Amino acid sequence: MNKPSGNTSKNTQGPPGTADSDASNADPDDDFRLVALAQGGDMRSYDALVTRHRGRIYAMIRNMIHQDADAWDLSQEVFIKAWNALPRFEAKAKFSTWLYRITHNVVYDWTRKRKIESAGELNDEIFERDRIDPAAVTAPAMGEAPDDLMAHGELRQKIEAALCKLSPEHREVVVLKDVQGLSYKEIADVMESTLGTVMSRLFYARQKLQALLKDEYQSR
Amino acid sequence: MNTNPDESLLALWLDDELHGEELVAVEAWALTQPEQLAAREEVRKWRAMMSAAVPAVEEPPFPDFFNSRIEKAIREQPVVKPAPAPAKTSFWRSWFVPATAFAGMAVAFWVGTQTKSTESQVAQTVSQIQTAPVVYTPEQGVDAKWFASSNASATVIVLEGVNAIPSTLDFSETASVPTSGNENSDQAIGLQQGERR
Repeated sequence: MNKPSGNTSKNTQGPPGTADSDASNADPDDDFRLVALAQGGDMRSYDALVTRHRGRIYAMIRNMIHQDADAWDLSQEVFIKAWNALPRFEAKAKFSTWLYRITHNVVYDWTRKRKIESAGELNDEIFERDRIDPAAVTAPAMGEAPDDLMAHGELRQKIEAALCKLSPEHREVVVLKDVQGLSYKEIADVMESTLGTVMSRLFYARQKLQALLKDEYQSR
Repeated sequence: MNTNPDESLLALWLDDELHGEELVAVEAWALTQPEQLAAREEVRKWRAMMSAAVPAVEEPPFPDFFNSRIEKAIREQPVVKPAPAPAKTSFWRSWFVPATAFAGMAVAFWVGTQTKSTESQVAQTVSQIQTAPVVYTPEQGVDAKWFASSNASATVIVLEGVNAIPSTLDFSETASVPTSGNENSDQAIGLQQGERR
């Protein structure tokens, strides 16, 4: 097994901290303890970290690119890159903020690559449901069935549609602030921007989003 | 707070990110700013709507498979040896290396100055040679004296000890004699003679 620090120590006991999948409940101190063990090569601790943070990372990527299949793959890429970069992680920032920064880079690399690839002609056939293996784990998102639409909520659909109309920078800042609940400082760290840039982007992004969701927003 | 908070502080206050003394100060200022209080309420309402409609946490499909695939990918990665950390520089090296380098530069500078003075000496000697040339006489017993006059623009070389040229010396032996098979040469000689005339 490849270990971040080349240490072959293996923790025979279970990793500390609960392996809950909701990172909002994850104690940063527990994260640091798990990170320290994972840096020593303990795969079980890293698995616990993945379990604690995968829900937020997947939700963020999904809100950024609005494609379930790619969001699943990119989330995995984030955790693989995080493992490789784990020896360089210092406890200066929260582990979750550090993960968001990796997510930011992975999503932007994917977006750039996609722009280059989509420069050619679009092949509509790849979107036909009949051509996709129904057993595929990463089935792409389709137009949702009426039941699903009800379950997810009409408002969410409209917000997601409105988010798609924002630039990637504006979309990310809204997702990180209003959905993920990060502070301005954390967003600046994630996006490698200044505090002023983040404030400005958020101001204009909210303005545009509120204009797009005018009917829903004012009725509440 | 007597003065308005700057834009940065106001943005932090609107998003409930201020704490401590800064929060107290801006809150005191905002008591007289109903439009700012209303703006903060709008931001709170907006955030509440967004967080209620769009979940911050969403489990990926097949979460166990998600984890196991990550582990598999990590295990299949080629082993990369970490780059060796640079050796800690010893105290001895920390001062000896710069001192040696400085001494070397000083020696090189001194040698450079010495080389320069030698070159100037050589140049002086060459100029002397050029003003007083050495006259070479291959025959033993012959002495050559050299005189130059810059005013007359003339140079005279006097040879002493050279034997007198005997009157029996046939100069034709040293000249080219035309032959029958060398007509071109005849023409060439004739042409030369004609030119002389």
